[in-house]
Amino acid sequence: MTRWATPKLAGYAGLSAAGLLSALVFARPELVALTAPFLLALAAGLALATPPRLRILVELDEDRALEGDEVGARIILESSTAVDRLDFYLRLPDGIEVRDGKNPVSLHLAPGERRELELSLGAARWGGHVLGPAYARARDPLGLLVWETVAATRPELRVYPREDVLRRVLQPRETQVFSGNEVSRHKGEGIEFADIRPWAAGDPLKRVNWRASARRNELWVNESHPERNTDVILFVDSFAEARSGDEGTLDLAVRATATLANAYVGRRDRVGLIAFGGILRWLVPGMGTVQLYRIVDALLDTQVVLSYYWKEIDVIPRRTLPPNAMVIALSPLLDGRSVGALLDLRARGYDLTVIDVSPVPFTPRPASGLDSVAYDIWTLRRDALRHRLQSAGVAVAEWRDDTPLQAVLEEVREFRRYARHARV
Amino acid sequence: MAALGASIAYVATSGGRFADPGAGLGAIGLGLLVLGLVLRWPATIPWSILLVGGGYLLSREGNDVVDGWAAAFGALLLLAAELASWSIEHDARIGAERSLTLRRLATLGALVVAALLVNFMLLATAGVAASSGVLLAAVGVAAAVGAVAVVLRLLRA
Repeated sequence: MTRWATPKLAGYAGLSAAGLLSALVFARPELVALTAPFLLALAAGLALATPPRLRILVELDEDRALEGDEVGARIILESSTAVDRLDFYLRLPDGIEVRDGKNPVSLHLAPGERRELELSLGAARWGGHVLGPAYARARDPLGLLVWETVAATRPELRVYPREDVLRRVLQPRETQVFSGNEVSRHKGEGIEFADIRPWAAGDPLKRVNWRASARRNELWVNESHPERNTDVILFVDSFAEARSGDEGTLDLAVRATATLANAYVGRRDRVGLIAFGGILRWLVPGMGTVQLYRIVDALLDTQVVLSYYWKEIDVIPRRTLPPNAMVIALSPLLDGRSVGALLDLRARGYDLTVIDVSPVPFTPRPASGLDSVAYDIWTLRRDALRHRLQSAGVAVAEWRDDTPLQAVLEEVREFRRYARHARV
Repeated sequence: MAALGASIAYVATSGGRFADPGAGLGAIGLGLLVLGLVLRWPATIPWSILLVGGGYLLSREGNDVVDGWAAAFGALLLLAAELASWSIEHDARIGAERSLTLRRLATLGALVVAALLVNFMLLATAGVAASSGVLLAAVGVAAAVGAVAVVLRLLRA
């Protein structure tokens, strides 16, 4: 605990000394009368000043929340000595706001008193938020001395991105070997009818197509498409973002990634994650709810970190990108490194989809002549970049904040239906 | 500002030979206090109090009779200094509990009343024992204030 004297203490001491000396020099009793109140305040204030013995604890009702949720926080203040005036402030990180309650707050603590302050915190933005530190400043009754301390208590709140509801997701071109919800293009054991073929030794009787057999005077059997799972890799570009106020392209990308991960995990697909940016993070594809939690937890730590290191797709571990996986990239296409990595992925034959999280709504068009020309050139270059990706056979759709993610996915689906496969 | 303004008004209406220069000096002190309040600079408070006190002393120049209102004048200066400190350190972002504000007001009121009482006793003593001189009066004041401090400290412990 740090103690320091306020300017008031020095001021009153100076006034008292000056007044008493002047009284002696000028021999005027009135001067003593003018000085005595300040001397009295000084003496009383110092006599009443007691160093506080504070105990501060900050507790959260929940340590996990969804974006937009409210979380209760309890601040426990206890002192064995009297604290005449205690200013308390709990520092909140960006993305956490006070919905109800007072922060900072000023209060009085009697000796041995325990106070519990209730705060209602709003989780405004996804992320792993560490609350605190908590600052406490105690004063004596007349405000001559101040004691300050910083509490070590720092609870953590993990705020998960709020997910959209998707009616249907993109279907990968290739399936994997495990059973799932995706009808494979290959023929095998399944429900979906594929074709008929002449009977062969070993074919079970239940697969005989009696109507076709009667018409051809020989046994024919049904063939079907098996239901298989797929590998989906969610690729989040965190090299750069465009931000305006509380919203940015990374926020949109993270929410969309969480939504897609939830949807694909629900289809029994294996989902992996690559956060490609200043800090590279990856998750090997996996199935189930545990994998979903892993992905969302990894997303919470995603942030834009400035880096000049030129990363290529080779830095990603081989197991993270299994063959025949569908890669869905969410990128503002602002950094050449991520664009290069996406083209590289496409060149390696991956089924690639790029959702261009548009930075245009976050960068208003300048009013002046030269700047507005530069802005127009920038948007044209973005169009050209999207065209370049489409020419390489990559399904690209521009996503703006006001458009639902489902609409963007439908746009991609249409492109994938009619686009020719290309190699770069 | 009102407390300091009342002090200056008293100086201006005291009718002494140097009442107007004294009030002028006080007005400079008031201006300094206003500046300090606007700039939230607490170092200006003692200087403004010093200027107003100096103005009062100037207005008493040539008057040998001890002014009985000096007791109230001193308490008014203390009130002005305390309220100015409160204003400067007040932060609207900090939500103060109502009981705390009432407690501060009560403390301030008690301090001003105690200062008034000490001043009345001091001036009464000075009037009765004028021959003993200002030195003894000052020592007496210091001793009385020290005694009050010791009592408060013991009560707090």
